Amino acid sequence: MKPVQNQLLFAMRLLFILLLCSALFASCGGSQSGRIRLVVNSGVEGDALKAAARDYEAATGLHVDVVEFPYDDLFAKELVDLSSGTGAYDLIMLDDPWFPRFATEDLLLDLGPLYQKRGQSGADGDFVSTSIALCKHPYAEGSLRALPYVGNSQLFFYREDLFKKYALKEPDTWEDVLNAARTISEHETAGAPGGGAVYGYVMRAARGNSAVADFMPIFWSFGAEMFDDAGKPAVNSPEGINALKFMIELGKYAPPGYPSFNATEVSAHLLQGTAAMSINWPAWISAFGDPSKSRVIGKVVFTTLPGLANRTRAELTSASTKIKDQAGQGGAKNVGSQRSAPQKSGQAEIGNWLVAIPKGSRNPDAAFEFLLWATSQEQMKKSALAGNPPTRRSLFNDPELVAKFPSYPAQLKSLETSRARPRTPQWSEIENVFGIYLSRANSGELSAEQAMNEANAEIGKIVERMRK
Amino acid sequence: MKAARKFGAHDRMLARLLLAPAIAVLLALSLYPLFYLIRVSFEPGGGEGSWSLRNFSRLATDGFFRSALLHTLIYAVAALTLEFVIGLGLALIADRPLRGRGVFRAIVLIPMMLPPVVVGVIWRLMLNPDFGAINGTLKAVGVNTQSMTWTASPLLAMLSVIAVDVWQWTPFMFLVLLAGLQAIPQEPYEAATIDGASAYQMFRDITLPMLKPAILIALLLRTMDLLRVFDQIYILTEGGPGFATETVSLYIYRSAFRFFDLGYAAAMSLVLLMMTNLISAGYIRLLGRQEAA
Amino acid sequence: MTASLGDRSRLRFRPAAYAVLLAASLISLVPAYWMITISLKTEADQFASPPRWFNFGPTLAHYYDAFFSRSFGTYLSTSAIVAISSTALALTIGTSAAYALARLGLGEGSSRRISLWILSTRMLPPIVTAVPLFLMMRGLRLINTLPALIVVYTALNLPFVIWMMRGFFQEIPRELEEAAMVDGDSRLGALMRVVLPLVKPGLAATAVFCLITSWNEFLLALVLTQTDASMTLPVGIAGRVTQYEIKWGVMSAAGVVAMIPMIAFALSVQRYLVRGLSLGAVKG
Repeated sequence: MKPVQNQLLFAMRLLFILLLCSALFASCGGSQSGRIRLVVNSGVEGDALKAAARDYEAATGLHVDVVEFPYDDLFAKELVDLSSGTGAYDLIMLDDPWFPRFATEDLLLDLGPLYQKRGQSGADGDFVSTSIALCKHPYAEGSLRALPYVGNSQLFFYREDLFKKYALKEPDTWEDVLNAARTISEHETAGAPGGGAVYGYVMRAARGNSAVADFMPIFWSFGAEMFDDAGKPAVNSPEGINALKFMIELGKYAPPGYPSFNATEVSAHLLQGTAAMSINWPAWISAFGDPSKSRVIGKVVFTTLPGLANRTRAELTSASTKIKDQAGQGGAKNVGSQRSAPQKSGQAEIGNWLVAIPKGSRNPDAAFEFLLWATSQEQMKKSALAGNPPTRRSLFNDPELVAKFPSYPAQLKSLETSRARPRTPQWSEIENVFGIYLSRANSGELSAEQAMNEANAEIGKIVERMRK
Repeated sequence: MKAARKFGAHDRMLARLLLAPAIAVLLALSLYPLFYLIRVSFEPGGGEGSWSLRNFSRLATDGFFRSALLHTLIYAVAALTLEFVIGLGLALIADRPLRGRGVFRAIVLIPMMLPPVVVGVIWRLMLNPDFGAINGTLKAVGVNTQSMTWTASPLLAMLSVIAVDVWQWTPFMFLVLLAGLQAIPQEPYEAATIDGASAYQMFRDITLPMLKPAILIALLLRTMDLLRVFDQIYILTEGGPGFATETVSLYIYRSAFRFFDLGYAAAMSLVLLMMTNLISAGYIRLLGRQEAA
Repeated sequence: MTASLGDRSRLRFRPAAYAVLLAASLISLVPAYWMITISLKTEADQFASPPRWFNFGPTLAHYYDAFFSRSFGTYLSTSAIVAISSTALALTIGTSAAYALARLGLGEGSSRRISLWILSTRMLPPIVTAVPLFLMMRGLRLINTLPALIVVYTALNLPFVIWMMRGFFQEIPRELEEAAMVDGDSRLGALMRVVLPLVKPGLAATAVFCLITSWNEFLLALVLTQTDASMTLPVGIAGRVTQYEIKWGVMSAAGVVAMIPMIAFALSVQRYLVRGLSLGAVKG
């Protein structure tokens, strides 16, 4: 009995210590009345807005509470809050493909009247048009419900030193990429800084956002489309299947395990020098110059995405005719899509971070003031210096920034020609399903045809549900 | 009974008074949510309005739900079997005067007391193919770890999440079975030894039958936990790669709180609930038969 | 308790038995140890190949980063407040109910039925209650508040408390109470003065189990909280895992802090461990 009591006494003491600690921490975070609450993603983009919030507090005395969530949770948390009108946030940072859902459900404040209150007609013309288009509902034409904060669009990263070593030229097309990946993988089986192999290409093929984002540029450059003109899903078109086959082929030169890779693994491989090429977001560029993170300082070039050569396109079209014959009516509605003109450089996916004011905000005017301030030229430049691409044309041409980020001209070009993901409120469900099948095809569970056919059927179900 | 004589009206009153708060809490937070769940599952789109069977008809044709169910069952059966076999083996080994057994008991209970989220973090660190402790150590002793991408290939990922559950919960089986073993009286063994029974015969004819109640309890409680598994997998693989480790709980969570499809999530929850109830009813019937015998 | 067992199984190789137990101990401990080392390593050492099990220069930077630069201090205090309040509530409500079920004249049959019903609510998978609880709390405007979590965890722990305490009460001879009541105590007086002191160890063990359950709970907290001020430690840790760039050191540091009180608690209730784990069915 005695030792038991001693143990229990010990437990009670622990409890006490815990209580004390909690009292201590609770006393640290006081609350004030005049304040706005901001939710951001945890990552460089969110960090920049967080830093801006701190500056704003110092400048105006208004208290800005910042909550951060990881990318995967952020959308759900925002949707939960906005749709239940709990008003937990006055400002939300959102990835652009989430915008249609929020806007369709009428959860975001129209910024037009707020501008008018200030005697302005709307957002100034300095914002890149593809970025501001994302903030309007309906796309590019409707009312303004957000402002673009981070102007991400995908870039192609490659290791210049390895390209020189094997006399490879900067890839214009995806088959250049494949050939370069093959050459590098074959020759660099050992000898990388970490002692491991250098893989030709690295990509994210984990389910969800990752797989889809890294696949879309290939998918589009092969001439495939998510939806046909009637709004029916068309991912299993011959072009789509060929694009997936190409992705799997490229995966042969990627590090093992890439079907579960997210951004973390991809950046680790690039920074450690164990992968030679990748598609990535510009926000990563600054890490490559950081000696505490990067083993490849000065060796990586950032450029626009590759496209597809005419020759291959012709071959594919003839090949796809065969597939079309076999597939009969079902698969091939989309042969010769809208963009049949061959492209030299590929099309990047746009992935901007927007900032919006929920309708449930308890302090919309103060929130708008902060929003304007944070997206002003002066403040956005600070965010840009921290590594986030801006959404203002003037900043892409800012001499100081261009000196620091020589890839800015390429980035602006990529951004201005970039393509948005389909503007549907169902995007996160569609992306989830599409990502699952892409991931399964890459891990060898399904063939490209099976994966695309099943993905198409599942996406069809989602679209169908929305119509009901 | 002797007890009955003392229970007057006053005691009965007091009993109701003492029970009332507990019953109120359970009604409000366990029973009412169940009714609410049923209601939501019949409402299309989770809004007000007419009743509809749409969520259930969707359930019938949802291949993802079916594979999530299958994954849950595979996971539960595999983990339960392994935990039981290893736990019983360890309990048999430890069921005798060994010095330091108390320390061993204290050490093995650590994994199961850890927050499941922390367990997920620990194993993510261990299983990371590039700098995880497992592959790192294997590499250091000259093993080629190229193909050991633990959470990246569908089969290995399922094995990994099962192994993590076995790591965390085998101690539970061990402790419960050990307690059961120690409650068995010594006499039957002595009698059997005199009769010249072999160790295996004693195990089969004495140990197993007398251990049965403890075994059933341990299996029942583990089964209930395995069928609802969420935390570790959410951290470790998030259901991936592809769909390979998505369990019912994860799929319901995603539908409800990622896509906000609450009606459909409610319908799936009902199926999970019915499945859990059926299985636990089976165990409880076995237990009852045990007690009656 | 153990010495009387004799050599009932006939495995003759003691060294083999020790080898197995030692291996099992190592397997139990090593992964947790690895997380502790990650929380103390600089980033260069974390990624070192071959892995550094012992030879690294320890740093507390990740702990500082987690609990002072980031919000883990707030999560920690939220977790503590929620765990302690819900445990106190569940113990108060549950112990009185358990006493009524164990002692007061409800008749053997109805007492058993009520007890079984109470136990069955414990069998509900949390995901099943997550959707309705979320909708209820949203309706009550209690999302992102500590009371929501406290009430939910109280309900979560209540069946366990009732079931355990009922067992402890039943073990106390009725005669003790009856003697006190003959001496002039009321029923409640006898409960307070005679019975409660006797079940104190059981009560404390039950409390520790409730604390562990509340502290470790993840799914309902994930669903019911979306702000920094209302998140519990597991939700906070999980938030760092699925991140864009995983901060292994910070996550491990928070994991270590979440883990240590649980280990201490578990060791403190060793004697009641099996009983608690098996909901009183097996008395270890």
